[in-house]
Amino acid sequence: MFFQVPAELLAAIDEANSHYPVSKRSASLPLLHLWQEHFGFISDEAIKWIAAKLEQEPIHILELVTFYPMFRRAPAGKRHIRVCRTLSCQLAGSYELRDAVAKAAGIDLAKWEEEGAHHANAGHGNPIAVSADGEYSVEFVECLASCGSAPVAMVDDMLKENVCADQAADLLKLRKSDATLPKVLPPHPKERRIVFKNIDRKGWTNDIECYVRDGGYAELKKALKMTPDAIVGEVKASGLRGRGGAGFPCGTKWGFIKRGGPKPTYLICNADESEPGTFKDRYILHQDPHQLIEGMLISCFAVDARLAYIYIRGEFPEAAQIVEKALAEARAKGFLGKDILGSGFDCEIYVHRGAGAYICGEETGLIESLEGKRAYPRIKPPYFPAVLGLYMCPTIVNNVETLCDVKHIIAMGGAEFAKIGKPNNTGTRILCVSGDVVKPGYYEVEVGSLTMGELIYDVCGGLKEGRKLKAVIPGGSSAKVLKAGETYNVKGKTITLEEIPMDFDTIAACGSMAGSGGVIVMDDSRGMVEALNNINEFYAHESCGQCTPCREGALWMKKITDRILDGGGTERDPDMLVKIGDGIAGKTICAFGEACSWPTQSFVAKFRDEFAGKSQKQIPPPMPPEYSPGELIANETIEPVDAPRGNGSEIMAPAATR
Amino acid sequence: MSTATEVPMLNVQIDGAWMQFPKGTRAIEACRQATKFIPHYCYHPKLSSPGNCRMCLIEMGLPKMTPDRKPVVGTDGKPEISWIPRPQISCALEITEGMAIRTSSPMVEECRKGVMEFLLINHPLDCPICDQAGECKLQEFSVEYGNAQSAFLDQKVKKPKNVELGPRVTLDAERCILCTRCIRFMSEVAKDDCIGIVDRGSYNTIACHPDKPLVSNYSLNTVDICPVGALTSTDFRFKMRVWFLKETKTIDVNCGTGSNIIIGARENVIYRITPRDNDAVNGCWLPDSHRLNFKYVNDERRLKQPMVKGEPVEWRTAIAIAAEMLKAHASDTIALIASARSTNEELWLTRRLIEELEIDKQHDVIPRAGEADGLLVAADRNPNTTGAHLLNICTTRSGARLKKIADGVRSGQIKALVCLGEDATKAGLTEDDLRKLDALVVMDILPNKTTAHATVLLPASAWCEKRGSMINVKGRLQRLNKAVNAPGQSRDDWEILRDLVQAVSGSNGLHMIEDVFKQMAGKVKEFDGLSLSKIGDLGVQIIEEEAAK
Repeated sequence: MFFQVPAELLAAIDEANSHYPVSKRSASLPLLHLWQEHFGFISDEAIKWIAAKLEQEPIHILELVTFYPMFRRAPAGKRHIRVCRTLSCQLAGSYELRDAVAKAAGIDLAKWEEEGAHHANAGHGNPIAVSADGEYSVEFVECLASCGSAPVAMVDDMLKENVCADQAADLLKLRKSDATLPKVLPPHPKERRIVFKNIDRKGWTNDIECYVRDGGYAELKKALKMTPDAIVGEVKASGLRGRGGAGFPCGTKWGFIKRGGPKPTYLICNADESEPGTFKDRYILHQDPHQLIEGMLISCFAVDARLAYIYIRGEFPEAAQIVEKALAEARAKGFLGKDILGSGFDCEIYVHRGAGAYICGEETGLIESLEGKRAYPRIKPPYFPAVLGLYMCPTIVNNVETLCDVKHIIAMGGAEFAKIGKPNNTGTRILCVSGDVVKPGYYEVEVGSLTMGELIYDVCGGLKEGRKLKAVIPGGSSAKVLKAGETYNVKGKTITLEEIPMDFDTIAACGSMAGSGGVIVMDDSRGMVEALNNINEFYAHESCGQCTPCREGALWMKKITDRILDGGGTERDPDMLVKIGDGIAGKTICAFGEACSWPTQSFVAKFRDEFAGKSQKQIPPPMPPEYSPGELIANETIEPVDAPRGNGSEIMAPAATR
Repeated sequence: MSTATEVPMLNVQIDGAWMQFPKGTRAIEACRQATKFIPHYCYHPKLSSPGNCRMCLIEMGLPKMTPDRKPVVGTDGKPEISWIPRPQISCALEITEGMAIRTSSPMVEECRKGVMEFLLINHPLDCPICDQAGECKLQEFSVEYGNAQSAFLDQKVKKPKNVELGPRVTLDAERCILCTRCIRFMSEVAKDDCIGIVDRGSYNTIACHPDKPLVSNYSLNTVDICPVGALTSTDFRFKMRVWFLKETKTIDVNCGTGSNIIIGARENVIYRITPRDNDAVNGCWLPDSHRLNFKYVNDERRLKQPMVKGEPVEWRTAIAIAAEMLKAHASDTIALIASARSTNEELWLTRRLIEELEIDKQHDVIPRAGEADGLLVAADRNPNTTGAHLLNICTTRSGARLKKIADGVRSGQIKALVCLGEDATKAGLTEDDLRKLDALVVMDILPNKTTAHATVLLPASAWCEKRGSMINVKGRLQRLNKAVNAPGQSRDDWEILRDLVQAVSGSNGLHMIEDVFKQMAGKVKEFDGLSLSKIGDLGVQIIEEEAAK
């Protein structure tokens, strides 16, 4: 080894290792993060060093470095700026921002692209352009999960929101104090703040004293006096459905866990918030981490999990620090660790950071990632997390918002919680609105208490001056797009887009999904081919590449929309796009197949004119038709074996009698 | 005796017909047993199922249930099926009672067409120069299940080509369909987890870390199981189109495992050796060291001409002189070194020669001990020590008498030595010792220090040039088959030995190798009731595994 690993880094590495008592391999991502924070990039030597440290094969570390886009194999600039590329930010001008940042930093992006530098290390990787003096570097990254304040950029570890292209130069010398989250307006009257009660609350701080002063950890005390079955019962009674996207009933999921089995149970908080259009978890992690910790501890007690992880996406470095500090505070106060509050219940929670891979939001992909592998989702059956999850043990994976809801279910009781919202769509939902509305942002409402029209026009202040609604993506970018002017038949009633109540079931009945609650609004200035192209680029970039249809199809769809936008669209392309989408959805290992094909299927179906208008080139002539395979076979005449050839006397005697 | 508990049988409907399969059977295997082949790439019966290629999608149904969870029975007395609208992979799907499968419905065919199209859009379609052509699953399934035309108009993804993954395996990443069979084989079977995937999405590429290439002695198995032309054997690459290869089923002779193999040869030249499935012996694997060890067969120094004292002679002259020389010696002055690489038939005739010459305890084989690798390479590097022992050529400890023979030669007590397929200098004798002998009868295929001093030299056949049988270290009797012809005047070993026995004893009666086996089976109880043809392609267990050790 040609380098010295400093003592403080070694100490941090040993600490990280201690968080994974079951498998050393799990510490791969934390070690890579620590290394990159210290040395700036992951060198070839680093890969070998980390592999040796964790007793892994070096290829397994190389696999990770090339899979997770946040790891780089060459140095970035002294100040590294990540500009969000994804839909809401693009709508708000992130492409212009990226160019402006590059210009301010003295980076010639056109030349850099021409030189093909972005293919230097990895095929998929986020190309990093570094200024000649090494001072600055620019990276175009996928969704930073702050869509309500688009466009956004991360300057080193600091998030800068609402940053216009003319502020690009300021980004280069951004200070910590400039990068704080802006305060939003007080809650809208139509909101009902439960989970977001403390978010942007006047006088609220994210330390434990503030939380306890406000009555925090009372529900944990209450829960520890209940039986685990009673807690599961309350959660079942509450009708709480998962807030991550699929909307699976939380109590039912917990009910799959058989307590007292031979294997330990694990609980994982899915804080890999990465569905474009969604940015709710960020606020909870930043501003109210103890609410999450309390919810997790109650949940751990209910499913008898003694070890839990919070999987925080890599693009939330500050959130990870905040949550780690909160965990330390909780540990110091006896809420976490051995014999919690004298109950005899032991539970430990650790933060595990992702590194820029959307697929880690898929629960089995997340588990693989937590095991220190590429986040390849597992096949189900047989790998249902409740049976064969983390380290092949029973595992519960819940979204941040869901786990927070648990605290409130214990506070008010399952039956009371079930009265909020609508039957089968209980509780509140945090709707994250981004795109072309006057007041984008988060809004916590009772599920279904509000229609799409009320959300857009009333709560969010309507569309921008002189603009009309064109399309809404109601549940994160993978949800099927809804077109203004469409009507839907729901339970025998015809309703318009504006009349759709924001609940799970009705949005599903309208042919889309409530998903993660990320509502992206587009007005009549937007081109749908451009919008779909942006989404396609996201999914092509984020496909893990494990299974065939998604690996090949996601990139193919992106190539077609790229070509259409470049003026090379052929008459066949709109149909081809739909056909590719049909070939992916329902045929893949995980729901990413649907996530990447639903946008294409719905955009082309609903905005066909726009696609057809840009796809008018003649299809290149096929190869000259010679024979179809059928004709070839028909023309081939093969004599049957038993038919005599020539006269009978020429038939050879069988070999045995010769 | 089987002590396994009874496995319950489950009723499964496959394409409309109800059948029974043991619990635990995977759907893809149940369909195969029902002669409904389901195309697949990533699935391999000996490896875990990642379910990533999506080629084996089928339509699945389960019995319709009444509200009180009882199956609804139709008018035909069979359960009614409720079909799941979403296709399921059959490779990781365990059958359950009442499961129904459609292996070819419009939905299934649509799925397969889709997957084939996806697999081919970024594939280079360089079949004319691809070694896999002719045994490529992409080609085969394209014909069976694919589309005639491609709708792909855009740039293909570029990936590394002609990558040396290891000393014996070459990767073309553009042809790779990322089924991960090679990764799983190295991890699960070879226990050398050295292959992984780098990059992401459509750019995913199979790779080894530069410091840890694919050096395993099992690396070429990844080539065998690669369903496409991504991994090719560096040795076989561009040597021969596979459809020209004449395939011969035989067994490997590089160690006592007796792995089952296929020799691919054309016009008397061997081009490659690949494993042949036999779950009782080698599964479907073969060590690289064994499969590549065939080049010596084509060596131009092969012995092709019978010689007496360095002069070429006719066969009958060579045999007659050898017999005369041996008969002229008293039995206690003759020693015989045979080979545990010989077939049972050859060893049986050797036994007869020993008996006719009345050689007593001055005969043995040369042991070849190595280290077992825990997989397929046995510690015994002779393929037929069990046979040599069974036929009394050696004691249970092969090579135990070699020192006595060497001492005898050195002291002048032994004056005639017969070496059958072995170099006596590997048995403790020096060339000076050999020079002292009155008679040295040597049968071999390549020149060595012993052949240089032979009074009578009898050119024989290599293992792939002859038929016969051997018994592996676990007591399994298996068959060698002839893939190519022996060069020049060299003859099949058993014929040489037969002629020698006849010349010594004057007896007669063996015309075909089957006769040798028959004679042997009449005298040695382990072979009782068997014949060469009854051994079959997969062999017969004739000695209990423990006893064979």
